[in-house]
Amino acid sequence: MARENYQEKLDSLEEDVLYMSEVVVDRLRTALTALENKDDDAAWEVIDGDSEINSLYLDIEQQCVDLLALQQPVAGDLRFIAASFKIITDLERIGDLATNLGEYTLDARNDVYPEVDVQAIGDKTVSMVEKAMSAYGARDTETCFEINESDDELDAMCEHASQSVVRDLIENELDDGTEVETVLEDVSRLLLTVRDLERIGDHAVNIAARTLYMVENDDELIY
Amino acid sequence: MSQENMSNDNVESATEDPTDDDMILETDVAAGLEEGSETVRTARERSIVEANGINVWYNDEQALQDITMSVPENQVTAMIGPSGCGKSTFLRCINRMNDMIDAARVEGELYLGEKNVYDPDVDPVALRRRVGMVFQKPNPFPKSIYDNVAYGLKIQDIGGNHDEIVEESLKRAALWDEVKDQLDESGLDLSGGQQQRLCIARAIAPDPEVILMDEPASALDPVATSKIEDLIDELAEDYTVIIVTHNMQQAARISDKTAVFLTGGELVEFDDTKTIFENPEHERVEDYITGKFG
Repeated sequence: MARENYQEKLDSLEEDVLYMSEVVVDRLRTALTALENKDDDAAWEVIDGDSEINSLYLDIEQQCVDLLALQQPVAGDLRFIAASFKIITDLERIGDLATNLGEYTLDARNDVYPEVDVQAIGDKTVSMVEKAMSAYGARDTETCFEINESDDELDAMCEHASQSVVRDLIENELDDGTEVETVLEDVSRLLLTVRDLERIGDHAVNIAARTLYMVENDDELIY
Repeated sequence: MSQENMSNDNVESATEDPTDDDMILETDVAAGLEEGSETVRTARERSIVEANGINVWYNDEQALQDITMSVPENQVTAMIGPSGCGKSTFLRCINRMNDMIDAARVEGELYLGEKNVYDPDVDPVALRRRVGMVFQKPNPFPKSIYDNVAYGLKIQDIGGNHDEIVEESLKRAALWDEVKDQLDESGLDLSGGQQQRLCIARAIAPDPEVILMDEPASALDPVATSKIEDLIDELAEDYTVIIVTHNMQQAARISDKTAVFLTGGELVEFDDTKTIFENPEHERVEDYITGKFG
């Protein structure tokens, strides 16, 4: 095969994108565990680890720029690099959102709405990100569409969680002497947690959409 | 001009209401390669060069195999492919330059407008007035800049105000400002890039319909190359440009359509340049343009 050096660089790019996704998913899992157990150490691990994800992002971004500038990729190679370039942005944002979850853990005082199953929502987002990256690695377009459908389910879960919190706030007056400010902070934090998890799902769909484009030049899932 | 008398399977009636009695039948440019496939385009474009089953042999060796394609008018069409794939041979079929090679034999039909250029009554010299050519290496004649540009006008006995035509041709070739005060000086004293633009001015002076370019920038430095590429883009407003290039990035930059020839003289894919370089249909084309072979 000609252009062996070029092919090695393409292979290396894919390996690095997949490695970055493993780090990001690991951080997301840790953040969810930290949230569940109110584990400050785990939360700090996620927060401090964000710089590693940022470094990976910058390194892979440079690889993409170098390939574009020096190798003039076309056709499937071009779509692979363009898709990878976009996907690492989604991964980096997922890392940021995991960091948010870590910060919510540090700030959390009370488990205001234990009936809101944040972990179930979190598990679904982890699954979506993992599947999206698996589809990227395997060039699996069928899974891309499945992730898009999963996002509808995730959105429904998030909407249900948010509405149940707001409904409870409207219907039940505070009569146990709890300070309003404290509850407000906890409720806001919970709503932000749900919102951030919902956004992680959106990023998983973005990854699936770029993967579909990469494999089949099909932009159906983009926007 | 009309192509209504052409018996070419690729020619389809325009789907839009004709507004002009002389309107050229608009053809499906990509049809004929993969009929019924997704590459058959819906956009209709006027074609000016129609190859229909062109085969070329050099002695017993076949250089082109059954080439059927329609080159759209007033666009830049690039021909790419590995060495020996027949792309330059096809270019030379269009103005019958292959006639000058004793060993070459051409079969099939090649229409320029309404006329098969291989009809016995076609005068190759008159044909070349309609089809100008620019070669890889700048080849100005050892004459003045003026005489270089006016050469075709004189030998083809083209009337009109030659001074005006020379000036206009040099302007179109983006060379006028650089040479207007030295028209009597030798064309050989110009730089390589200027010489190539002089050759382009010479090619367009007889006001051809089609300009063939065989690797016109491969002997030039990057600055001169970019000037030629800009010029090609401007020329396509008035002329049909067909360019053979080994430089795939150049083809991607400057052409509207790209034809990919592969070894054995086969036209494998012909489509919008954007499609060829972003999502080619054929794996062999993808492998070639991504450098996996060739």
